[in-house]
Amino acid sequence: MRTPPFLVGAALVFWGWQTDFLPLSIVMAAVLEASRMTRARWEFSDEDFSRIWTICTLLFLGIAVYAFTDNGGPARFGSFFQNPSPATQSSAGAVTSRTASTMLRWLPMVLFLFIAAQAYSTREDIPLSTISLILRRRWKRAAKEGVPLPGIRGVNVAFPYFAVCLFAASVHPADGQGYFWGFCALVTWALWSNRTRRFGVFVWAAVLGVAFVGGFFGQYGVGRLQNYIQNLDPRWFERFARNQGTDPSHSRTQIGRLGQIKQSGKIVIRVEPKEGVPPDYLREASYRIYGERYWRAGPSRESFQVVPQETNNLAFILIGKTNFSSAQITCYLEGFSRESGVPLGLLPLPSGSGRLEELPVFVLRMNNLGAVLAEGPGLVTFKAQFGPGLTADSAFDPSETISITNFPGRRARQNTQGRPPVVANPDLIVDPAERPALSQVISNLNLAPGNRVAALRTLKSFFETNFTYSTWLETPNLLNTNLTPLGAFLTRTRRGHCEYFATATVLLLRELGIPARYAVGYAVHEKSGREYVVRLRDAHAWCLVWNERLNIWQDFDTTPASWIEEESRNGSPFQKLSDLWTWAGFQFAKFRWGQSNFRQYMLLALIPATLLLGYQIFARRKRKRNRSTESELERIWPGIDSEFYKIEQKLAARGIGRRTNEPLMNWFERAVSDPDVATAAKSLREILRLHYQYRFDPNGLDAAERERLRFAVENCLKELNRQPTKQAAQR
Amino acid sequence: MSSTAINSNQLQVAREVYKRITANVSKVMQGQAEATRTLMAALASGGHVLLEDFPGTGKTTLAKALARSLDATFKRVQFTPDLLPSDILGVSVYSQRDQQFHFHQGPVFTNVLLADEINRASPRTQSALLEAMGESQVSVDGERHFLSEFFFVIATENPVEFRGTYPLPEAQMDRFAMQFTLGYVQPSEEVAILTAQQHNHPLDALQPCATVSDVLTLKHAVESVRISDELKRYIVDLVAATRSANGVQLGASPRASLALMKAAQALALFDGQEFVTPEQIQELAVPVIAHRLVMQPQAKFSGVTARNVVEEVLKKVKVPA
Repeated sequence: MRTPPFLVGAALVFWGWQTDFLPLSIVMAAVLEASRMTRARWEFSDEDFSRIWTICTLLFLGIAVYAFTDNGGPARFGSFFQNPSPATQSSAGAVTSRTASTMLRWLPMVLFLFIAAQAYSTREDIPLSTISLILRRRWKRAAKEGVPLPGIRGVNVAFPYFAVCLFAASVHPADGQGYFWGFCALVTWALWSNRTRRFGVFVWAAVLGVAFVGGFFGQYGVGRLQNYIQNLDPRWFERFARNQGTDPSHSRTQIGRLGQIKQSGKIVIRVEPKEGVPPDYLREASYRIYGERYWRAGPSRESFQVVPQETNNLAFILIGKTNFSSAQITCYLEGFSRESGVPLGLLPLPSGSGRLEELPVFVLRMNNLGAVLAEGPGLVTFKAQFGPGLTADSAFDPSETISITNFPGRRARQNTQGRPPVVANPDLIVDPAERPALSQVISNLNLAPGNRVAALRTLKSFFETNFTYSTWLETPNLLNTNLTPLGAFLTRTRRGHCEYFATATVLLLRELGIPARYAVGYAVHEKSGREYVVRLRDAHAWCLVWNERLNIWQDFDTTPASWIEEESRNGSPFQKLSDLWTWAGFQFAKFRWGQSNFRQYMLLALIPATLLLGYQIFARRKRKRNRSTESELERIWPGIDSEFYKIEQKLAARGIGRRTNEPLMNWFERAVSDPDVATAAKSLREILRLHYQYRFDPNGLDAAERERLRFAVENCLKELNRQPTKQAAQR
Repeated sequence: MSSTAINSNQLQVAREVYKRITANVSKVMQGQAEATRTLMAALASGGHVLLEDFPGTGKTTLAKALARSLDATFKRVQFTPDLLPSDILGVSVYSQRDQQFHFHQGPVFTNVLLADEINRASPRTQSALLEAMGESQVSVDGERHFLSEFFFVIATENPVEFRGTYPLPEAQMDRFAMQFTLGYVQPSEEVAILTAQQHNHPLDALQPCATVSDVLTLKHAVESVRISDELKRYIVDLVAATRSANGVQLGASPRASLALMKAAQALALFDGQEFVTPEQIQELAVPVIAHRLVMQPQAKFSGVTARNVVEEVLKKVKVPA
């Protein structure tokens, strides 16, 4: 079944219009429809069609991989497999649908080579066996057993391709009715050419009209339904779309939570020390204000400022200082920016980081607590230069005050109404609810306010000797006491994880009048070859203490050193296997986010592969014109050297050309009706008789007759040459 | 080779025979020169003819006129649903006198047989004609009876009536060298027909103008008409093209090629040529090939006929020139 002229071209342009590939689609349509104008054809064998089909399949697979990675597939699916939750499930689903729609949109491009091969081949159809492996095997078997093959073995793919174009056009970003009406027009065109003559045009049009009206209301209804479901409860849907990763504005601690706190051994950061000492901690964010369970960034939460980029360089200066050490850090950006839709996340930085090099991000922002927020690819590798001393955090300002009535995380049952607001420096503020326990500890330890060095030493040994690290929290008996979870930790249970230790230390220091902040990030301790790996369970919290002598913030960690062992003991026995998987995922993420050159290599490798296949198909095949083979045949037949053809050419030049299916006699009758030729009719008839005998009589002409034919043609040509001049004279 | 043995004088004689018969037939069949020419081509090339046309267009008259023009035996069988094979071929009858079976020849033992409304007989009776037409012989009771050397079947059928008819099987269709229609004549010619038949039918006055041996001479002369390999190839290309044409379920067989070549040779003889030219092949392609094609049902519904297919093939295949 052949398509009417220009139908496939129109469908292609329609597809281009709907999917924003208009210029490309016009070129494709022109190439395809030009096959109707030109007579150039190639002789493709079944094998060639199979090769072209293989190219198309490869292209399809390549596009599938490209679309999948481009839409964040590996990362989303990775998180889905590691942590199957509704949120990851929905994001993996979204990736699948985005991938599918990209592939559908590109389908006409992928299959274009195949349809073009059909259009420019000498055959009208493509052997079914190139497309169907089953048929190919079945026919091969049939040929072996001598069973007759089915009569129809080819299929014209023009109509299927037309359908593919329409289908691909349906994946269009634009709203509006353009698609529907364009679709109707094209389908009408296609059906018109193939309509049955059994029914009148009116019946045909009526049936088609009914189908279109049904389709119109059907799609309208589906659209309404979709709107309805989307508006059902936006918040309910929002739940699935929550971003992950550390939030620079607040941190919800596990303080007061019961039961096992479990963290996975997934490797999230790799650190390769380049110069100097490796960093001990990688800090993501720090916070200033603690209420029950929550740490808040306080007034600093909105203070993100864009970090200027050095010109023509992927380097950012966080703070001007001398850096002695540097390390290459690779980490994932876990979140997604709502505005730009690109991955977003806090960079884990060694304390005292001054300069970030080779950082391939679009935007880098930093708040005055030293949290650095990057927007860029989902995986970044960069060099951090760091050294002891100055940090990017804002210095302690004694004059800064904050007034807080409602500390974060305060339970509703605790009446805050009527209480006077707490006014204090944000780096010294303590929730009054925590005060009793803190005072008790301070008086027990006999600590004097203001003595920073003594306080740090005492607190360090206090936590080291009297406390145990535990991620398992039994039920503290708080029912009949006024103790907060932190108070219980300090005075009764004395067991907890890093968040307890860090929070307690910060608050104790503040109670002693020493400015302190709460920092979260990762501890770096596990060496793997040249680099350090940081797992999710290495997530850590510690404090920053203000050194008023040097005017810098210093890390201070009171969590018992046994915590690392304790955490490792919780590791899975399949840690190695899991690491291998993480490594593979890491390599893929590197490739997917363009942090390795593999993708470019793959593209470069595709070019010679395609060229080779193309050479096999096109260059080895003799380019064939429709006419040439037939003239080869003609050369075999006798009498092909007859002079009569000169006359035919002559008359053809005058516009009396012979059609290929027109016998000479019929053409002659037509020619002599022309007044110019009519005068030569008699000699022409004789020439034709001789020519026919020369050509079609197996006995041929004898020498005299052959000479007569030659002579008569000469005369006739002379006569014909005179004709126009005679007529010109008459005019 | 017989082609070299026959000289142009014999061709001249054969052409005279053709002209006499045509002139005689045209006394009765006004305005049907084309049909007469085609019919004569079938006769001269040894093929049988199936005339398909509306009632009253002169099918029977044409057949009768041809038979009358020849000094040959002519039999006519009106096909009806209850006609039996023995009614056509003949029957063995037990003779009391010599106590033996004697074969009584049926109407098929003749020179010219008019099988009128052939599609009204049952397929069984239709196929009885098959052997006779294909092999020029009849087998009855295991005994072979040969037909005369000059045996020509003109069958007619009516395309508009379908009730109580049995369309001819494909195999039977292939036995006919040609199928063509007469068509309605021009009004002026129809007036001439009325005038001619005002008092009596001109058929009654028709006198034989050729003998059976004349016809055999004609047939032999046709065989000696030369045809080049290129034109044989053209015929094969035409027939082969019908096998891959759109809407055709079953294309024409090599028997079609053979029939087309022979018919073209006959036309060449009629035109006074000693060799075949492409025009003659094109002229007879439709009557020789079309009725042998089995069309796909979809093609039939969408109005494509076998005739269209052959005409399309003629347009597509490049003609030697």
